[in-house]
Amino acid sequence: MKDPETIPRRDFLKSAVAIGGTAALSACLGREDADIPTGPSDLSSYPQRQHSWNNVLETDEAGNTLQPRHHVLLLLDYTEETPTESDRNTVEGALRGLEHAYERSNDGLLLTVSYSSAYFDRFDRSLPESVDLPPPKQLAPFEDPEFDTPDALVHLASDHAQAVLGADEALRGNKETLNGVEQPSKPLTDAFEVAERRTGFIGEGLPAENQDIEGIPDSKPVDEEAPLYMGFKSGFEKNQATEDRVTIQTGAFADGATQHLSKITLNLNQWYEQDSRSQRVSKMFCPFHAENDSVEGVGENLGTDSGMDDCPEAQEAARTKGVVGHSQKMVDVREDDSPIILRRDFDSTDEGKAGVHFLSLQRAITDFEDTREAMNGTDLVERSALGQRNNNGILQYMNVDRRGNYLVPPRRHRSLPVARPEEDG
Amino acid sequence: MMRRRSFLAAAGALSVGSLSGCTGLPGSGGGSSAPPLVENRPEAVYYPTHHEGMKMSGMKSQGNLRCALTYTFPHRFWLVTGRNREMVEINTGDSAHVMPVVWNQETGIVPPDANPQITVTQEGEQVTQLSPWAMISQPMGFHFGDNVQLSGDGTYQVEIRVGEPTTKRTGSFAENDRGVVTFSFEMEFSEESLEDISYTDIPAEQEGTVGAVSPMDMEMMPTTQVPSEDSLPGTVRGTAKSGDAVFVVTTLDDVTRFGGTENETYLAVSPRTPYNQYMLPLMSLSGTVERNGSTVFDDILQATIDPELNYHYGAVVSDVQSGDELTITVDAPPQTARHEGYETAFLEMPEMNLTL
Repeated sequence: MKDPETIPRRDFLKSAVAIGGTAALSACLGREDADIPTGPSDLSSYPQRQHSWNNVLETDEAGNTLQPRHHVLLLLDYTEETPTESDRNTVEGALRGLEHAYERSNDGLLLTVSYSSAYFDRFDRSLPESVDLPPPKQLAPFEDPEFDTPDALVHLASDHAQAVLGADEALRGNKETLNGVEQPSKPLTDAFEVAERRTGFIGEGLPAENQDIEGIPDSKPVDEEAPLYMGFKSGFEKNQATEDRVTIQTGAFADGATQHLSKITLNLNQWYEQDSRSQRVSKMFCPFHAENDSVEGVGENLGTDSGMDDCPEAQEAARTKGVVGHSQKMVDVREDDSPIILRRDFDSTDEGKAGVHFLSLQRAITDFEDTREAMNGTDLVERSALGQRNNNGILQYMNVDRRGNYLVPPRRHRSLPVARPEEDG
Repeated sequence: MMRRRSFLAAAGALSVGSLSGCTGLPGSGGGSSAPPLVENRPEAVYYPTHHEGMKMSGMKSQGNLRCALTYTFPHRFWLVTGRNREMVEINTGDSAHVMPVVWNQETGIVPPDANPQITVTQEGEQVTQLSPWAMISQPMGFHFGDNVQLSGDGTYQVEIRVGEPTTKRTGSFAENDRGVVTFSFEMEFSEESLEDISYTDIPAEQEGTVGAVSPMDMEMMPTTQVPSEDSLPGTVRGTAKSGDAVFVVTTLDDVTRFGGTENETYLAVSPRTPYNQYMLPLMSLSGTVERNGSTVFDDILQATIDPELNYHYGAVVSDVQSGDELTITVDAPPQTARHEGYETAFLEMPEMNLTL
């Protein structure tokens, strides 16, 4: 490890997840110094809510939940018209294989599997009314995204690159044993084809290590402490919906949630080379924070919220300051003073471009659409100096390339569910 | 007028001192060559050190929209947030200042909410992607532009995506319900061809004095001038100045296209740059009308694009009578980036009072 000829350990790990495959995994296993706890042999105590991650994630000093650092998304196509019982068993077996291999935590592996409306379209009966899962659509007047319509989406997350890589490989049938635990003979890819693989990271140090990429200027501007490319913390505890708020409460899919996944390209040349820090704080948080130097560094002084109580309303900022912060626009979409979506987004170097895989959970897709509408600020734009993107939060610096909507079913229906499962009890 | 390279070479030979701080002189291409800023700039529109022409790569039409891809030398400019301006220096890697010009073919109006998104690729690889800034310059008026780093001489594929309108539109604007539109260009770029673009030095005695460079010949593209006081529709009620901008007030009896009813009046405020009469978009304006000491109107003036009034700010009011006192408040000055000669004006903009 001390050999100066070798790639620094962290530099290597950053790209291993992006590259993927058995070679990346075996190299990773040799380098990443981790003793990952295995999961239990009896999984009966695992929660019905696949998305119930928060109580097994770590928190920072202020008490904000920290997302796992490494992520893999597998977009999957189901190869048969109607799901068979045998395929259901294959899928369930493959997922359980991972759960036996790795503890369910950031130190082990967290996973969800979700299904698109395109998947549910194959059934005669539509989803129950308790599930709001429209197909994806254009959500801003200036965007022109393509729509993802795979059948299913697997999200793998861990603080250890080797765990997401290992899980990925096991699902493809490339691992007989995973973390010392034997894997089922029928991998996930016996039932699904992998249509696309996306990867990413979040957390202090990772964006700075991955900043040699199109979309980030060559001056290496990303702060070493920044958890995300834009240089500030996000996902503050009080700016996140609770898991309860995003969970479907009734019907056969109770304890499920809906999931939105967009693929966003970041263009941060202007952000880092032209905007000043004060302008960045104005646009990310609010002009008040910029005027009062309320944000130190990447925002570690902010505690568990972005301090929006101190900022005037978005409407007032738009009218009198001509600029409105991203966080400031989000204030109005709260319910009982709490947001309605739970962000589990992360940054990415996929396709050689700086990007974000914006993954969020919410009870209904309309909750996401309402949140995105607030982010567009179109009502503010019509009645103030704000431009469609100019001085309008961080819209100037991002481009939504793809959108997709999914249902994360409860655990009991996670393997090739029908659109109308019988309600339990 | 002379070639920029020749000018800079001559200037360098004649007076090195006057170009101190000016790196990247002839030989380094676009680079950071711009003469130093005028000292003691007035808080008003002023003559900059120089002005430059531009080159058009191509022009495309789709439905009611037309788009031209133009570029010039990299420029320094100022970003505006609120009443703060931040200078953007030319970066050594900048190849050109790229300006996608988008307009409505029927009216020739350049909508400030076009917000073009530019994606530049070469042989399938993305070179850069950006949403250029809304800006104003003396030769060109309102436009979208930014300095862009290309990977040297060659052919580039440039996609320009224009979003759906968000600014209120009135009258015969079929544009209202159009979707997102994408224009595709092929752009031949070379450092050498950049040198064909005109470069005009402004005499030392004129630099920094109040006034403006005349609008350039836009050839097949529209200017972003708004109608003169004489040609504005309705009854022109007066003119006021604030922050060096000129605000012309007119009232229209035909109010239905603005969302009013027959007996109401449309109050339109048409701000423009002095000298060149360019539109000044992206402001927050509000107004009050007082009659015999009581307020008969107090609301925002909403940015609106109308085929006859062009870009303006307006509101439907019950009526306007001779002797009414109108107060126009600039709640936020134009949030456009500024090219040299416009960066000191249109920032501190006190309220205006007019007797109608």
